[in-house]
Amino acid sequence: MPRLIIDEREIEVPPGTKVIDAAERLGILIPRFCYHEGLGAVGACRMCAVQFVEGPVKGLQMSCMVDAQDGMVVSTSHEEAVEFRRFIIECLMLNHPHDCPVCDEGGQCLLQDETVSGGHGLRRYQGKKRTYRDQYLGELIAHEMNRCIHCYRCSRFYQEFSGYRDLGPLQIANRVFYGRFKDGPLESPFSGNLVDICPTGVYTDKPSRYKARRWDLQRTPSVCIHCSLGCNTVANARYREVVRVEARFSGEVNGHFICDRGRFGFPYTNLPGRPRTARTAGGECSQGEAVAAAAEKLREISSTFGPQAVACFGSSRNSLETQCMLKRICRLQGWQVPGFFVDPALERRVRAAVSLLDASAGVSMREVERADCVVAAGVDPVNEAPMLALAMRQAFRRGAEILVADPRPIFLPFPFIHVPVSMERMDSFLEGLARLAGESSDGTGVREADLLSQIVQNGGLASSDLPLPVSFCRALFGSQNPVVLCGTECVRESTLPAAAALARDLRKGRDRAGLLYVLPGANAFGAGLLNSQGHPGFSRLLESVESGSVRALIVTESDPLNDFCHRDRLLGTLGKLDLLVVMDFLDSETARMAHVFLPTTTHFESGSCFVNHEGRLQYAEAVHHGGIPIEQAGGGSHPPRVYRGDIPGEGPKAAWVILAELGRTLGIPDRDLLGLGPWSLIGEEIPSLKRLEGTVFPPEGIRILSDGDPVQWVQGPEARDGEDDRGAVPPGDFFEILLTHWTFGTEELSSRSGPLQKVEKEPYGMMHSDDARVLGFSEGDRIVLSLEGGQIRFRLSVADRMGRGVLVLPRHRKLAWRNIPEMPCFVPRDRIRREDS
Amino acid sequence: MLSDALKETLRGKIAQGEHPREHAVDVMLEIQKRCGYMSDEAMEEAATLLGMSPLELEELATFYDHIYREPVGKYVIRVCDSAVCWMHGHLSVVDHLTSLLGIGMGETTPDGLFTVLPVCCLGYCDRAPAMMINQRIFGQLTPEKIDRVIRRLREEASFDEAE
Ligand code: SF4
Ligand code: SF4
Ligand code: FES
Repeated sequence: MPRLIIDEREIEVPPGTKVIDAAERLGILIPRFCYHEGLGAVGACRMCAVQFVEGPVKGLQMSCMVDAQDGMVVSTSHEEAVEFRRFIIECLMLNHPHDCPVCDEGGQCLLQDETVSGGHGLRRYQGKKRTYRDQYLGELIAHEMNRCIHCYRCSRFYQEFSGYRDLGPLQIANRVFYGRFKDGPLESPFSGNLVDICPTGVYTDKPSRYKARRWDLQRTPSVCIHCSLGCNTVANARYREVVRVEARFSGEVNGHFICDRGRFGFPYTNLPGRPRTARTAGGECSQGEAVAAAAEKLREISSTFGPQAVACFGSSRNSLETQCMLKRICRLQGWQVPGFFVDPALERRVRAAVSLLDASAGVSMREVERADCVVAAGVDPVNEAPMLALAMRQAFRRGAEILVADPRPIFLPFPFIHVPVSMERMDSFLEGLARLAGESSDGTGVREADLLSQIVQNGGLASSDLPLPVSFCRALFGSQNPVVLCGTECVRESTLPAAAALARDLRKGRDRAGLLYVLPGANAFGAGLLNSQGHPGFSRLLESVESGSVRALIVTESDPLNDFCHRDRLLGTLGKLDLLVVMDFLDSETARMAHVFLPTTTHFESGSCFVNHEGRLQYAEAVHHGGIPIEQAGGGSHPPRVYRGDIPGEGPKAAWVILAELGRTLGIPDRDLLGLGPWSLIGEEIPSLKRLEGTVFPPEGIRILSDGDPVQWVQGPEARDGEDDRGAVPPGDFFEILLTHWTFGTEELSSRSGPLQKVEKEPYGMMHSDDARVLGFSEGDRIVLSLEGGQIRFRLSVADRMGRGVLVLPRHRKLAWRNIPEMPCFVPRDRIRREDS
Repeated sequence: MLSDALKETLRGKIAQGEHPREHAVDVMLEIQKRCGYMSDEAMEEAATLLGMSPLELEELATFYDHIYREPVGKYVIRVCDSAVCWMHGHLSVVDHLTSLLGIGMGETTPDGLFTVLPVCCLGYCDRAPAMMINQRIFGQLTPEKIDRVIRRLREEASFDEAE
């Protein structure tokens, strides 16, 4: 390990460390613009010059371009280096418009910092400044090119790192311009990172423009809850309003970046319509009164019909504390075991995924970046878990081969092999892949062709659907560090063990072969952990309500009416309840039906734990106290000048605290509830987490997967009892409907974001162009799908690279997908027709 | 809109390379030869042919001096402004040309005949000051020589027009 001296202090760093990073380890921040740890070094700006006094490199050099080596003696304050940097910053400032007072970057601007640190305090240049015409880059990012210092960070992030192709450097020399071919919204769903990485104010966060200076903001480390990856963020609040979300570095999870869903998805917490007051049948009341009313009714139902007449329902957006408290109360009261998913099949898949992961197989996104071969089955990364696509791209940039097996049309920002296997044949495809990879091992290659045709047959594919698979199988076999990715949203339950088996087979003869499941929701993992036994499934729950054996339902931060397919049935069923208690921070449809409603806080207001897809327990700190945003309280002007002792709208409490209060009112001693404190609560409910009690919470979270324990530590779903053995394609001419997520517009929380609503696409359905031809449809046709539950109308888009016999529909609020009776759903072809025919 | 025939030619050219984008600059020069300059539509169509995004092609187009993203005159006059020509009176060449044509540097005459642009070194230093008009180079420029050249080109243009 190289040892060197920087500014008279010695340090030892891993080989390959740049001098600029070695200095940073000593707490010396060498000025820089183009260098960014996530993007690497290019030496474009010349700002990081230091003097190499002794050792293998001599003289003035760029510290971002030189690897630390033994014997180096470096001075950052050498006269020559200081003079050089002063000159560079003066040059970079020649054309700067000096508009810091109206620039949102001001106060968090590297250019301001380096101008000061470089000692450039007097302007000597009197000439005309270069000016640019700014572009319209969409609703998320503002563009002010006059502030640019030509460091190339933006285009390197946009094109090299993330693989999108509509923003880059134009022109030459002094005229270099960073932008698009024409004005128009940026195509990348990662565009918000430009705001973070641009060292000046060229790209600023448009929705939060002119709202606050950095130093006016309350800032805390938070976690994104818009998908299961759990990217690390910084939440920023001011005047009782979350103003902005930024990426926070995490070595294991998201690296330096986040996606735009995570950055711009937060406004649900500020919405004017957000419920802040408790309600009972008699109208608005205090939290205490509402809790008392709920408790009274619950006691009555329990004593008349037995405690099993009370059921609870949570969701995968619940914090872990809430999930644990829900489970605890249900147990202590003898109520039904709580459920977290409206789709019983999805619930089983989540449990299967959680039970199949262990520390030796589960991988983080960082490990995906280092994979040299990736097989993705039934997962659409950009739409389901956007940052996973960027992790895969980093693997691709390091030379990994990537194959995606999925009947949906899949876009990824890099070349990959797409095999449109149907969901039904996915398992046999994965098995075939494992065998083929094994077969290639003996070097005979003779059976490859055989196996290949088997895979084609088993996978229900046309041979034209299989580009380069043999070469891929060789790559898979030759890989040192392969990773299997698997979705849970659209796949069959059996695909989860099939993916795990492929990873296990690949692990033979290798140190490592990773497995990553993309789960449905920020805390789906937590739901899976708590869900190991006893929950009957949402459909059974509905049946019990319909038959009258369940009379009361407590819905905690969950909106079944949003998630459940068969909407009319659910509306009817909820209407039958004697008591519907809803706790939520959303003004949801379910909440509006509640007999007792209790408003809750968001994770921006109450610190909460979430367990991400790889079983990493992460803590999101509260960023502010909550309450009605001052802008709303004052109608945009000064807030009302009335004296009061509380904060307007501070009524909501964390759902788990409300649950505990409900429990206490029902007679559970407090030492078993709030008295436990969050950590003991979690440890009590999830025995495998007991060992974590008292742990100091590390910044990178706690990986809770058991270490190489061969015994499954969480119970998977029990074997099916035959009757709900669904998922087999019925014989005849049917389309399978795949309900999918889109990056923007389908996820429950972020689809309430005003800025993202301006970005999302109008929903459309997709089918294979061959299928469309047979049905006589073409691109853009208006299609009606007639189901028992009602009709679904949508515009059709056709594609060649997708599976046949599937119809892909987004779970978009503007599309009546809730008319689908249940999933999986197969429809005969004659139920699909063009609107005019 | 590129004509189908031109597109066919371009496709042939592109097919010769290992990667389509290898021929990006050639394709733009070819289009320019036929159409005079690269319009936005031409950029987009060429990008499609090359399997590039319009932005990627624009990065190249705006980097190279000889790709025109705006209409230029029939004759593009490039006056060398590198060191040797500058020592030999490049500024008076520019003065003379621009007053003769009645346009500034970078502009095109209203009749669409001439555009004046700077260029840095034509490799004609031994005969400085120099300028290049379309593919032809003229050295040892004097006001008289410039007048002659421009007159000839005007005649040539009106001859082309008439025929
Ligand atoms: S726009 Fe920002 S990131 Fe891009 S080159 Fe200019 S200063 Fe750098
Ligand atoms: S990838 Fe998922 S967790 Fe990460 S920022 Fe985007 S939505 Fe949030
Ligand atoms: S940071 Fe080293 S040259 Fe830009």
